[in-house]
Amino acid sequence: MTTTAAATSATTPTAGPFPPGLVQSPRMIWTTRIIGIAAAVTVALTVWLGLWVTPPDKVQGDLVRLVYIHPGVAWVALYLAFGLAAVSSLLYLWPRTRSLFWDRLAAAAVEVGVVFNVCTLISGSIWGRPTWGVWWAWDARLTLTAVLLILFLGYLTLRRVPAEPDVRAKRCAYAALFAAVDIPLVHFSVVWWKTLHQGATVLNANLSPSIHGSMAWTLLLGFVALTLVFVWMLLVRYRIGALEDYLGTGELEVALLERRSEGADGLAAAGAADVTAPDVTAPAPAATATAEVAR
Amino acid sequence: MNYVVAGYSIVLGILFLYGVQLLWRRRRWTRLVARVEASRPPVDPAPGDR
Repeated sequence: MTTTAAATSATTPTAGPFPPGLVQSPRMIWTTRIIGIAAAVTVALTVWLGLWVTPPDKVQGDLVRLVYIHPGVAWVALYLAFGLAAVSSLLYLWPRTRSLFWDRLAAAAVEVGVVFNVCTLISGSIWGRPTWGVWWAWDARLTLTAVLLILFLGYLTLRRVPAEPDVRAKRCAYAALFAAVDIPLVHFSVVWWKTLHQGATVLNANLSPSIHGSMAWTLLLGFVALTLVFVWMLLVRYRIGALEDYLGTGELEVALLERRSEGADGLAAAGAADVTAPDVTAPAPAATATAEVAR
Repeated sequence: MNYVVAGYSIVLGILFLYGVQLLWRRRRWTRLVARVEASRPPVDPAPGDR
């Protein structure tokens, strides 16, 4: 009968005690939620201002509306996400600050950054088609941004190579630093080379923005909104990384574990219906399987 | 304007789907860790602690 109790406890996931290192404080939970709500509200405001309130541009017409999101996603991908990944990797490699926290933070930043980098290339391409007449040009900035995406996809692939946590963290940190060399190249590409891509609108050499009024405010709001989206995604992705590291299993093992647990759920239900059944005393598959993985 | 609508839809769609996927992954891992913790055998106290 004690085994039946163990199988029943395995069927109620939230009933088990959480390990101390993984317990989230209510403050952290609420911070994540508030950032998520703020991100959703500011994104909605940006879309409303960008599509309906701001006027069309004298030269670009309605296409200028894409500018309210394209620089924002590029800012998040290049500077926030990949910049944070580079700094975190450096802090992991520095002996005094070496901690798997930095490795997890870098991994979370890179994954979110890759999503934003894809958004950057797609939104830029959609803007380029009616403006330049082509979906893609082998322009310095476009090409270097695509190279950056490939480099950080390589980082994510490297993370999936089985290795001890410290070994994986070290090789990924070097990979992130290698990839990060491309960030200043992307930034200064419009200055160093004669490119099709336009120069900076706000942070230009003279620090005099070439956008004004409601257009400038909408662009600024877009930056804030997408930054909030990034922070929320980073917090959630970091949490997933911490949970993954705790179990230390790959996707395949997790899938197997889930299937076994579902089998245990069925066993427990059958055991509850007929407690006198002789097979109820057999060890619960979920209990043994999860114990193996926990080791 | 078609390009603008397409751009907003694709970018915000990707971000939305990735956000939902993150929430789903977090929920899945949280449940899995809870399962593992719930199915751990209780630690017997050492003989000297009894």
